[in-house]
Formats: sequence, structure tokens, C-alpha cells
Amino acid sequence: MTDWYPVFLKEMLQFRRKLLRLGYIFSAMMAPIIYLITFGLGLGKTVSLTEGTDYLTFLLPGLVAMSSMNNSYAWVASSLNLSRLYFKTFQILIQSPLKPFSIMIGEVMAGMVKGLFASFLIITVGFIVPSNFSLNLVFLLALLINCFMFASLGVITGMITKSHEDTATYSNFFIMPMAFFSGTFFSIDRIPMIFKPLIYVMPLTHTNILIRKSYFDLEGLISLFVILFYSICFFHVGARLIKNYNE
Amino acid sequence: MILLQNVSKSYGKTKAVDSLTLEIKKGEIFGLLGPNGAGKTTTVKILTTLTKPDSGSCFIDGIDVLKNPQEIKKIIGVVPQENNLERELTVYENLLIYGMLHKVKNLKERIEKILYTLELYEKKNSIVTTLSGGLQRRTLLARALLTEPKVLFLDEPSIGLDPHIRRQLWQIIRKIKTEGRTVLLTTHYIEEAEALCDRVGILSYGRLIALGSPSELKKDVGEYVVEFIDKDGNLLSEICHSREEAYELAKLRHNGVTIRKSNLEDVFVKLTGERIEK
Repeated sequence: MTDWYPVFLKEMLQFRRKLLRLGYIFSAMMAPIIYLITFGLGLGKTVSLTEGTDYLTFLLPGLVAMSSMNNSYAWVASSLNLSRLYFKTFQILIQSPLKPFSIMIGEVMAGMVKGLFASFLIITVGFIVPSNFSLNLVFLLALLINCFMFASLGVITGMITKSHEDTATYSNFFIMPMAFFSGTFFSIDRIPMIFKPLIYVMPLTHTNILIRKSYFDLEGLISLFVILFYSICFFHVGARLIKNYNE
Repeated sequence: MILLQNVSKSYGKTKAVDSLTLEIKKGEIFGLLGPNGAGKTTTVKILTTLTKPDSGSCFIDGIDVLKNPQEIKKIIGVVPQENNLERELTVYENLLIYGMLHKVKNLKERIEKILYTLELYEKKNSIVTTLSGGLQRRTLLARALLTEPKVLFLDEPSIGLDPHIRRQLWQIIRKIKTEGRTVLLTTHYIEEAEALCDRVGILSYGRLIALGSPSELKKDVGEYVVEFIDKDGNLLSEICHSREEAYELAKLRHNGVTIRKSNLEDVFVKLTGERIEK
């Protein structure tokens, strides 16, 4: 049951070294803080919300969802891609008697920790700036599933990309549009009907819906189901890619 | 101990390994010798479960590599051609993670022991990137030996090392042989193959073109080489089967004539018309 632990430990030892470099924490916080200042304290004043909440209170959960997505995904995708194509350290995992499923769990858990760490930074900021931002169990569940889902997607990207540049391409095509159009900065109610099916296909949309709930209503349950479905699919595909690894 | 039967592997239109059939005995150091691109690393990757062949079968210690890769992983150790240590971790952390992945019993004691044996103890808390190339190679070897593997694969173990460090590494490899392990070593250094290997298989374009002990192979093609310079200034050589034959031949040449013992490079040149160490 704990076969995945060495994979996780390896990533955590590296993560700890990165954390000790001050630059890392600043770089992890930079984008969300910029968004917070630009949208939350600046442009946000012009955004009207039907829910009747203030913009910062609306924005902060979205920023947490976006930041957890970015960090869980990018860390795993980039780390796997580099270890597979450049440093060849992925060979060590493949040549060990570990089952592909355990490698997958180890990688995803490590990605989740990185995503949760970045989220923790934003949450801390959320309690400092003037807003009605608060945590609840639905929020924490949505956050955990979001980290799991995007860390699993990161494994898929890390396993299929043929160069490190490809990682950025995938990010530009899938992650960046999700960050901006999935209800992070403005309510998806304001998106034209014609684009709504596309918006509802994006997994981050459902995290954004769920993370802003304080209890499970029908909409929340549907979103929970959707992100769980995506999580299982991404995890399964990632584990299969590891199983079929062939140099 | 290792058996390959008609193993082939292509990358696109390039045949990396072509119908390779080979048997390696228990406890021997076997060298796969050939120039870059001969198929040595691909053969090692197939045997160490990193690559699946297009056809053929291979066995290690009676276990089918393709059908039972998880069991194979428990009995092999690999020193790859490219340094695949975790660069941002220390020597100790690299060994710790590897040992945990392989569920090595009494791991901490085992790590201490291997660090002492390979004279790495002083460096155990050094980050890999701060180590010299020779120490990094030794760490790779320590990692591969941590699980006490039955079969050790060394893919170009001394590539990029200076001659002094290379000889130190050879000493360690000879010591490994005394522990009864089977070693499959790939190299394109003639000197290394002759110094270490009980038997050698020579590969050219993925095909096995010669097999035997270094002395047998040299005897087959001729044990003496007459080198001379032709009228255009080119260094040429001819292989002879006896010393007398070599002396007779030398009398017919005039410029820069030398007689020396043949080596595996001469065997390769004789068989393929090309050189190994290009």
C-alpha cells in the first residue's frame, strides 16, 4: 500500500530544496498576487456580480482553484517531462519493481502537495486582504480534488510530450484558456450561450462552481461528479501511459 | 544466465538490433563491443525492461524478460550510459530512494557498507552536481550494487573518464566479478574490453559478427600486425597468423615498419573494414 512513498519522497526532497531558495515562494505567489491586485483591487470594481457578493470574496476562491491547477499540473508535467527526456531519472522508476499504479500515485501525491502549498499562500493572502473570504469543507474537498485532477493531467502531459517546449504548448492550449474562461475572474453566467457548452466541458469550471459553495446543492453535486469523473479518467490514462512506457 | 534469441529492434527504418542471438554464462564478465550506433545500448535497454523488442525473446536467470519484467527488475542492477542520478539530491538520498524503490532490507546499513566499499563515505552528504564525473560514476555503481543484483549491466561505464579514474573503475568491476555476479558491459574502448572481459561479442549495425574470448578472437584473425607507411604517407596494417609470417611481411615493407600484437580493434577492422574507436 505504501509502495508509492519513495516516489513521493524523492519529489518532496527536491521540493524542500527548492523551497529553501526564497525565489521559489515569490515566483509561486507572483501570478496570483498580480491577478489579485489587477482584478480584485483594480478592474474588479467594474465587475457586477449577480450573487450580490463583493468582488474580492468572489475572486479569491477562483484564484485558489486556478493556482492549485497551475501548480499541480505544471510541476508534475514539467518534472516528468524533464526526468523522462533529459535527466533520464524516470528510468530508475521504470526499472524498479514498483507497479505503474504506485508510480502514478507517488507522482500525483507530490503534485498535490505542490498545488496545495501554492493554494495555502493564496489563502493566507485571502485572510489578509479585506473580504468575506472563508473556508468550509466543500471548499477544501474541491481544492483537494482539483489538485488530484490536474496533477493526474500533468502526468499525462509529462508522459506524452516529446520535448520540454511541448509542455508550454499544451499549457497554452489547455491550461491558460481554462484559467481565464472557467469562472475564475467573472461568473460564467456572463459568458454568451453559444460558448457555454465549451465552458462546461472544462474541468476547472466545475471546480470553480464547487469551491464557491458552502453546501452541496444540485449544481454543486453535478460539478463534484464531473470533477471526480475527470480525475478518475486522467488518473487511469496516466497510469496506463506509465505502464506502456517504452524507450 | 542471459539468453537472447533472434532479438530485433528498429527505430523507424534504422535496425538498431538485428536478429541477435547470444548466451552469457553465469559469473562471467561479458563485453558487447562495437562503435556508436552498433546496438549495444539498445540491447541493454531491452534486457533491462526499458525497451520492448519488435521480435525475439530474452531470458535472465530463466525468467522471461518480456513476460515477467517485474521479476527481472528484482535481480538486475544497471549503470546507464547517461548519468541518471537525481542531481539535486545528495549521494545518500539517491541511494536511499533507490533502496526504498527496491525494498532493500536493512537499507541504512547496506548504504553505509556500499559507501565504504566504493570509497564514497566522505561524499555521502554532497549534492550530486558538486561531484566530479568519476565520483558520479562511482555513485551510479554504488546505486546499482545496493540491491546485490545477480546481473549487473554496465553501459559504457567509463565513458568520459580520464585514464586514471577509468583504471580505478576497472578494479572495482574486477572485484564485482569475484563476488560471483554476472556482468554485461558495453564499451567502445578496446582496452577496456581486453582488460575486463572473459568473452566479447562484437556488434556491427545491430548484428553479432564475432563471439569469443579476446584471445580467441585475436587468434582467429591473426595475432600479429605489421604496420607500415605507404608511398602516399598512409599508415596501413596487415594481420599475420605467426611471428615468422609477420617478419617475412615486414621485410617487404620499407617505411615506418612496426610489428605488434593484434588487438580487438584489429579484429573489428578485419571483419568489417571499419574502426571501432572512430
